[in-house]
Amino acid sequence: MIELLIRLMRRPQGAIGLALLMLLAAVCLLGPWLAPYAPEKMDFLGRFRAPGWQNWLGADQFGRDVMSRLLVGARATIPMALAATLIGTAAGAMIGTASAYLGGRLDEIIMRTIDAVMAIPGLLMALLLVSTLGNGAGNAVLAIAVAFTPSMSRVTRAVALNVRHQDYVKAAVARGEGAAWIIIREMLPNVMGPIVIETTIRVSFAIMLFATLSFLGLGAQPPASEWGLMVAEARQYMHQAPWVLIAPSAAIALAAIGFNLVGDGLRDALNPRDER
Amino acid sequence: MIPALAIENYGLDYVTPAGPVAVLRDISLEIAAGQVLGLVGESGSGKSSLAWALMRHLPRNAREVSGSLRLGDVDLQKLTPKQLTEVRGRRIGMVFQDPSTALNPTLTIGRQVTEALQRHRGLRPREANALAIELLGHVELRDPAGIMRRYPHEISGGEKQRVVIATAFGCRPDVILFDEPTTALDVITGARILDLFARLRAETKVAALYISHDLAMVTRVADRVAVIRYGRVVEQAGGSEIFRAPRTAETKALVASVPRPERRLVNDKPNETVLLAASRIDVHYGDRGLFRVAPPPATHAIDLTIRAGEILGLVGESGSGKSSIARALTGLARFSGDIFYAGRTLHSGQDMNAAYRRDVQIVFQHPDSSLNPRQRIGEILSRPLKLYGGNPADISRLLDQVRLPAAYAQRFPHQLSGGEKQRVAIARAFAARPKLVICDEITAPLDVSVQAQIIDLLLALRAETGAAYLFITHDLNLIRQIAHRIAVMRRGGLVDCLPVEDFDADHVHPYTSELMAASPVPVG
Repeated sequence: MIELLIRLMRRPQGAIGLALLMLLAAVCLLGPWLAPYAPEKMDFLGRFRAPGWQNWLGADQFGRDVMSRLLVGARATIPMALAATLIGTAAGAMIGTASAYLGGRLDEIIMRTIDAVMAIPGLLMALLLVSTLGNGAGNAVLAIAVAFTPSMSRVTRAVALNVRHQDYVKAAVARGEGAAWIIIREMLPNVMGPIVIETTIRVSFAIMLFATLSFLGLGAQPPASEWGLMVAEARQYMHQAPWVLIAPSAAIALAAIGFNLVGDGLRDALNPRDER
Repeated sequence: MIPALAIENYGLDYVTPAGPVAVLRDISLEIAAGQVLGLVGESGSGKSSLAWALMRHLPRNAREVSGSLRLGDVDLQKLTPKQLTEVRGRRIGMVFQDPSTALNPTLTIGRQVTEALQRHRGLRPREANALAIELLGHVELRDPAGIMRRYPHEISGGEKQRVVIATAFGCRPDVILFDEPTTALDVITGARILDLFARLRAETKVAALYISHDLAMVTRVADRVAVIRYGRVVEQAGGSEIFRAPRTAETKALVASVPRPERRLVNDKPNETVLLAASRIDVHYGDRGLFRVAPPPATHAIDLTIRAGEILGLVGESGSGKSSIARALTGLARFSGDIFYAGRTLHSGQDMNAAYRRDVQIVFQHPDSSLNPRQRIGEILSRPLKLYGGNPADISRLLDQVRLPAAYAQRFPHQLSGGEKQRVAIARAFAARPKLVICDEITAPLDVSVQAQIIDLLLALRAETGAAYLFITHDLNLIRQIAHRIAVMRRGGLVDCLPVEDFDADHVHPYTSELMAASPVPVG
């Protein structure tokens, strides 16, 4: 684990990505204490105040400090995106591995069902689910997880098919082990590498999907300072006060870039053929 | 006269995060024109690194610390990349271990042979084509013109190796490097490739460096043999001398571990009670689809009996169905026919109950793939104990049984050597206290010296536990040392099943005698 971190740090994309993620983690943990103002404190004299010594990143239409809202809102954005990705990945990994292990007709049935679900675009799927289940952050997380599951199970199945033909799986079958043990203990740990990489890259998609849902009014609800929602609200004042729009957009972009870079770095660091 | 290839005082390091590791030290070898030098050593002794150094294709972390490599009048180390392409193939050729990866799967055989001829001998396409057909005919390939149009997956492994050899000789290099050219092939095909090599060599008078871990094999083709160990040449002598009168301890150990059929390692008689009987076993792979018929079974009506405590050898070339029998007996492959065991008749894998699965254990060929890389040795060994009822505290006893330290329970498989991994796989099989252990080519990926240790271990375990073995192998010399009876398979059928003493008799099947003739009999 530590060796992996060192290998990750040795690459520029890994080091930068890790630094960005550390920054995000710090903001998530300490945001409310770092914020100079309360996120919902209005100041009618300071409406649309430009970035300066009073409000470092400016103020919005109610005179709320944009930086404070970003720092506090990180908690509403990043953990949600992470949770959605993890749920989707876990479900997809289980389905993909089980499908590869079972093989034959069952594999066919599972994968064709997955194909059918995959035919619906991710955002549309999430929209459908949220509009059926009702608005709210929790439902948005669930919707994104469901939208991620099919493609994750495809990726996992491709790797698991290779593992299925390894002798240690045959040895477990010959020993008379149960299906659950073989899938969870023998196969899953050996397909983890590609899944971990895929997951980190997907977190950035989840952040954006989550922001999109909030932007459309289906995720977090005002006055929450979720980043996507902040972008949605700032849209109408774009010409008056562009900083209100730019700050949360940049925060989303930075988070997405951070996870993407770590994913790229991990792909290299986990590659056993790497000679360095 | 300048030697065709001269290696002088050569040293090579690999730079790793833990510091430089010495791979080759003080290597001095000379090959005169027309001479064949055999290079023998265990895996990890650095023999392949030497071949790659000569081809100037070293990994990025390699550092040459001393010495020189000269090909005739050319200093190989001083060549620029452009000059190198002039030398490779044209003046120094190479034949690889695995012919299936040495040929490009997306190009026809003809393309690959003629490309080399055009490039290295400056022939025009039409001339190259004619020469390629002639060369392929010369390496005893039937219908060379037809083979030219085929893709690598459409011909067998032996045929592929012949194509590679034809290409290497066709470019008329000064020296050809052979890196274990017969290891990936079965005995009979390997023996024929060896005969071909001897003939081509006599005709073309090319110098060659023949790398192998099999001392018996090398002495059949090489004029001189060098033994390499831990990156140093420990002995160099004429081909037959080194076998008859080895001077150093390393060579003596190498010679002693070569299996010889006349030196029996098992002298007891098995008792007469039948432990397991298989009758009319057909092994099936693949189902009948909607639009295609089911593929033919991999074996045809095989009858086998294994007596309690017996060692039954099962030999045959690759693709003969030996491993399919192992899979059927362990329920890994679908079969038709009956297995009689402990008063029960099994018709399919579903009939195998926990008692059968405990009593019949299998050890696979490749320990790398049969041990889960993400589990510690302790966890790997604890599974059969949990499944079949045993004390988890027995792990250290199991490790001790296969002569491994108890501390290995905390290690992962990749931290062990190939032989140690195979010991763990054997320990896992014996954790169930089995009555029959199926060994599926378990010594094939190992060096001769490690193979000898594993065989000793298996015999010791048999003496301790009284288990019977079904020992699947293609090494007839090895199996004749240990088996009570040997069954010979060919193309899915059983051609012979004889007590080992009858193997020299006249009434053996012609295929069995062919197999015996192909097994390299150690000289001296």
